[in-house]
Amino acid sequence: MSALEIKHLFGLRGVSKHDIRLILDHAKQFREILERPVKKVPSLRGMTVVNLFFENSTRTRTSFELAEKRLSADTVNFTSSNSSVKKGETLVDTLRNIEAMKIDIVVVRHKGTGVPKFLADNSNAIIVNAGDGAHEHPTQALLDMLTVEEKLGTLEGKNVTIIGDIRHSRVARSNLWGMSTMGAHVTLCGPSTLVPRNTDLMNHVTWEPDVKKAVENADAIIALRLQKERMDDALLPSMREYRNTFGITEELLECAKDKVIIMHPGPINRGVELDSDIADGEHSVILDQVTNGVAVRMAVLFLLAGGRNNENA
Amino acid sequence: MKMRKPSKGRVSNVVLKNAKFWNGSSFEHRREVCLNACKNVETTEFDCKGALVMPALFGLGLDFMEPLRDDVYTFFDGFAAMHKGGFYGGLYESAANPIDDADKFTAMVNRFKSEEFGESEFDIKFLGAYSKGFGTDSLAEMVELAEAGVAGFGDGNGVIPHSRFIRLAMEYGKMTGKRFFFQPMDKTLRHSGCVHEGAYSDMLGMKGIPRIAETIAAYTILEMARFLQVPVHFKQVTCGETLELVRNARKNNIDVTCDVGLYHLLLDDSCLETLDSAYHILPPIRSAADREALWQGIADGTVDAISMNHTPVLRQDTVVNFEDSVPGALSLEVALPSIWNKLVKRVGEARAIELLSTAPARLAGSAPTIDNVVVFAPDRPHVVVEGDFAGHVCNSPLLGKTLPSSILATYINSVWTEL
Repeated sequence: MSALEIKHLFGLRGVSKHDIRLILDHAKQFREILERPVKKVPSLRGMTVVNLFFENSTRTRTSFELAEKRLSADTVNFTSSNSSVKKGETLVDTLRNIEAMKIDIVVVRHKGTGVPKFLADNSNAIIVNAGDGAHEHPTQALLDMLTVEEKLGTLEGKNVTIIGDIRHSRVARSNLWGMSTMGAHVTLCGPSTLVPRNTDLMNHVTWEPDVKKAVENADAIIALRLQKERMDDALLPSMREYRNTFGITEELLECAKDKVIIMHPGPINRGVELDSDIADGEHSVILDQVTNGVAVRMAVLFLLAGGRNNENA
Repeated sequence: MKMRKPSKGRVSNVVLKNAKFWNGSSFEHRREVCLNACKNVETTEFDCKGALVMPALFGLGLDFMEPLRDDVYTFFDGFAAMHKGGFYGGLYESAANPIDDADKFTAMVNRFKSEEFGESEFDIKFLGAYSKGFGTDSLAEMVELAEAGVAGFGDGNGVIPHSRFIRLAMEYGKMTGKRFFFQPMDKTLRHSGCVHEGAYSDMLGMKGIPRIAETIAAYTILEMARFLQVPVHFKQVTCGETLELVRNARKNNIDVTCDVGLYHLLLDDSCLETLDSAYHILPPIRSAADREALWQGIADGTVDAISMNHTPVLRQDTVVNFEDSVPGALSLEVALPSIWNKLVKRVGEARAIELLSTAPARLAGSAPTIDNVVVFAPDRPHVVVEGDFAGHVCNSPLLGKTLPSSILATYINSVWTEL
């Protein structure tokens, strides 16, 4: 088995094509296992994984937990709402205490950019980023890539358009790095208050303000969740105007290719970034993304743990 | 965490041999220079081996945290840092301990000159606060503060309050003839930003502080200064646009001075890629183009002085992720070795000394003394270690880095300190 070059998964910027390919190929194998009557493999038996979630999460945490259990790992869930973090414990103390309980892998979600790297710098555990601020959400992008490959055969040369709140989206950032590395052409589109103001270091992708132009050549469209707080922060006037301008509607899809696939990281604001008819329609692959999420996370955990095991051997 | 170290310094007469001594316009080789403290102390001989002997420095932006945050840093630590870095004086302004009435000023002065510090003769000037507690409820007693001896009035490096309050503060403070020191930063445009708003913040998904947060605040203050005819100073300008405002203001006879921060001349926002909280500094480290604009301002004389903004931060407040860390960096101990060669290359030795010593002293109303010197080896590299810093904190982005130069010894207020 070829090994990953990375020791932790902080994000997809700078991750090689080799590593992404390896993860996606393993995810495809795990995807098959998930279709079997017995969905469990012993790959991580004896290893302990902590899901360290400082932000609310339902599907990502559940997906990681399922992936860990499918790999036979022992799992522990840690959420900041019911922990000593509430009592003022620092991040590094929290990690060191958990690490002292002899854990092997930490899956972390935090509001702060760079927290996974910070934890890796201060511990011996394998760190997997489950979302850090608006920085990266690499496993979401990997499952998006797996879904595109599954539905369209390859990422190479495909046009992927991401629409919505790019500025605050860790999903968009991970996708623009990962998909580009794998040869896809990425186009980003959103209201001017919700796209990055300075794209000099992200100029390998296309920034298109016109949503109709953004979708017309797309093979896949990823609609991002619009957070309601953006209205309070005066970044948008109303959900209504957003839906009419940037929402994925039947009318907008008339500008797109016939076989375009529609993706969404969830949870969906129906009738805002995505109309219900589209979310449940023939173009939608949203539930496939959810299934692929478990497979991708199994692959990431398996390969990172395998790397550590090889190192120890 | 390291423990507080005893000072290595001692009162002594000094004979410096084989030094290149600053004569006021250039360095000239001298076999021997005698610096005398008093008759009843020992004499130390030191072979400089061709090192430079230059005037000691004057630091803008000192905050030693006492009394309210003496868990972080103390006057003792600050004085030790000044000895190590070759500073004979500085302009003191504490965000945690605003000097907003004459009693507080007197207490602070007495503390600095207390026996605990050996009747310190450091030339410390103080900025008074223009408002009570740096708030916007009431003005500080500026007339009494001025009579007591403050060098000017400052904002505690906070964001500028609403324009009406600034107007009233400057209008009232005008009676004193003192200069107002502002770190220009518009509160609403800064919002929750913690880094420079630019390519790196957008790539990393970090909340940025735009340049216009500084320029709009600066413009507001300059308009106040023009309208009220009050002298103002901008602390730690970070971008070329603000320097352009300063240039234009001077053309219109507005009395405005400014400084730039040490780290703003040394770093640019590419350092954010490391996600290392050591680079969490406010006002934010801006882009490479901004840094170059600051250097241009240094070269053409727009920038009056280089500021230290010496800000101690507890270790537990830095060993967290970037956005949750407390901003600030120590600078006194590493300033000269980190910036000297760059300064000399860009503007020459005389201007370098002016920017670090005479100009900041002038801004604070201090008269330089000739007996305070730094023995400095510009070509002797030095790796910065925790032990280089006074006190028990060592928050600096230069920790672990190799500086091109070294301070060999300092002679400050008759105290000889070999490093």
